Amino acid sequence: MDVTLEFSARRTLGAFSYDASFTASSNEILVLYGHSGAGKSLTLQFIAGLLRPDRGRVVLRGATVFDSESRLNLPPQRRKVGYVVQELALFEHLSVAENVAFGLPRERDRAARVRELLGLLDISGFEDRRPSTLSGGQRQRVALARALAREAPLLLLDEPFSALDDALRNSMRRELLRLRTELGLTILFVTHDLREAHFLADRIAVFDGGRVLQLGAREDVFRRPASRRVAELTGVANIWEGVVTHVAPEAVTVNVKGASLRASPSVRAFVPGERVHAVVRAERVNLRRDMQAASSPRNLIPAEIVAEFAYGSSHVLQLQPEGPGPRIEIEIAARPYEVLNIASRKLFNVEIDPADVHLVPGEDRPGGAITA
Amino acid sequence: MIDSPRADRAATVTIAVLAVAFALFFVLPLAGLIVRAIEEESTWSLLKEPQVRQALGLSLWTSTVTVALTVVFGTPVAYILARGRFPGRAFLDALIDLPIVLPPTVAGVALLTAFGRRGIIGEPIEAWTGYAFSFTTTAVVMAQLLVAAPFYVRAAKSGFESMDPQVERVAYTLGASRVRTFFRITVPQAWPALLAGFVLCWARSMGELGATLIFAGNLEGKTQTMPLAIISAFEGSSLGLAGAIALSLILLVVAFLVLVVFRMAGRWARWT
Repeated sequence: MDVTLEFSARRTLGAFSYDASFTASSNEILVLYGHSGAGKSLTLQFIAGLLRPDRGRVVLRGATVFDSESRLNLPPQRRKVGYVVQELALFEHLSVAENVAFGLPRERDRAARVRELLGLLDISGFEDRRPSTLSGGQRQRVALARALAREAPLLLLDEPFSALDDALRNSMRRELLRLRTELGLTILFVTHDLREAHFLADRIAVFDGGRVLQLGAREDVFRRPASRRVAELTGVANIWEGVVTHVAPEAVTVNVKGASLRASPSVRAFVPGERVHAVVRAERVNLRRDMQAASSPRNLIPAEIVAEFAYGSSHVLQLQPEGPGPRIEIEIAARPYEVLNIASRKLFNVEIDPADVHLVPGEDRPGGAITA
Repeated sequence: MIDSPRADRAATVTIAVLAVAFALFFVLPLAGLIVRAIEEESTWSLLKEPQVRQALGLSLWTSTVTVALTVVFGTPVAYILARGRFPGRAFLDALIDLPIVLPPTVAGVALLTAFGRRGIIGEPIEAWTGYAFSFTTTAVVMAQLLVAAPFYVRAAKSGFESMDPQVERVAYTLGASRVRTFFRITVPQAWPALLAGFVLCWARSMGELGATLIFAGNLEGKTQTMPLAIISAFEGSSLGLAGAIALSLILLVVAFLVLVVFRMAGRWARWT
């Protein structure tokens, strides 16, 4: 995997300050995830040359295109990146073929290349149509074909699918995974949609307030958030305040509202008495019908279902422990929900694998950004 | 409150009466002009008068030059006003709007104080080069430019403003220079607005009277455009009232033709 992009930038825009840096490699989708206004789109504009960082450096495939030290700032025309925005910005007065050919050099056999690109994106036969006569999904494909025309090694996609309906969005996401592999592209994909981020990402950069709070492999970020804030942003339902009571090589024990919770040891070392947050994703929690308190290394908490929400493919349940302990939210697929007969039975043993209990520092020890 | 069908009907009738009265107010003067022109036997022969031909020729020529200059100078200004963020932008914007609300006679006086023989620029220019603007065809164009150009700039600016700036940015990332992007992407997409501004500007300069009269004067064959010839006809030139009617009819036909062409071009712009 060769590095396609080395990026670092700082910029102050009024009260907002941006400061981020990362690298991306070929055949990789790096998802820039965060709420709107977190600095994701700014990142793409810095890379494309549409906005100038106050300080920083952008290197594309070994060639420096921006460097504040040496006062180098190549214009967007000379940076060779594919850029697709949410509104697509198609050239409505040009045909599909003319849209795609717009970025092609004159000396090339443009017609053949356009045919090839339209074939690649499965929109052959639409050459002479106006974009306004196409469906949302077809317009999307035209925008992608146009961005790919210059054979840019790096694609910058700014929430490109957010205007599509669910079914179309899913098929476009799969299409993108195929293109990534087929063309060995590096893709920076901006989204505020958690499911989309999870589906597409090889790695995720979690943006908040102009900073990258955490950057890492998808599973790392989702299951081992670096801080409480990252846990919140990545949709962790159970974030409990607690105090470390015991540290052993095989597990760290935490007291959460009177209940003892075992967590697998993490990279970060904790000491007894330290305030922490225990972070557990709703879909990692299991329900057991047998009520005997097994002496397993797993956390078992007898609890009662107090609220239920049905989402069709899954159910979200809230459980209150019979003894002391925090309220627990779990997500369970439709089939196990039926098998466990949850509709009529309310008392269960909540089972949490210590590996799924992730500890992050409490508020008094703010964690810095972790990058991997 | 629930409206009764009766009140509803009364409202409908009232609106219909108002609409018809208003429509008549627009149709009657046009009808009067056409009817009188047909009644008057001398209409056709008057159109062959050298004074009429000169006035028509001068009007067409000067307004065309005005529009050409407006497009060349006004388009970049409109674009900068629409896209740029710079100090003094609001002031420049208001300045360009000013002639739209200013009476043309005031514009004429203003031109005289700047470019007239005693004007702050006109006097030194005449001292150095011996050239005076006033009472020349150039002065006619200048008067029309000051009064009519803002209409184009206004329309072009709103055309550029209504365009998604992302479109241009994407074009840059596709390797297109700013110039190529402007001509291949921006202008075609803003075309309907530019066309509307074009027509407004042209119509306004064809009809320009006040500023021309004051700054350029009323010299047959030199500065006497159609509107000025109509005024002269009323004030007792050889053409007389019949001449004024004939001249007005020509302007009406020209205006009508421009409107038809504009509508067709607008439709064409939408379909291609």
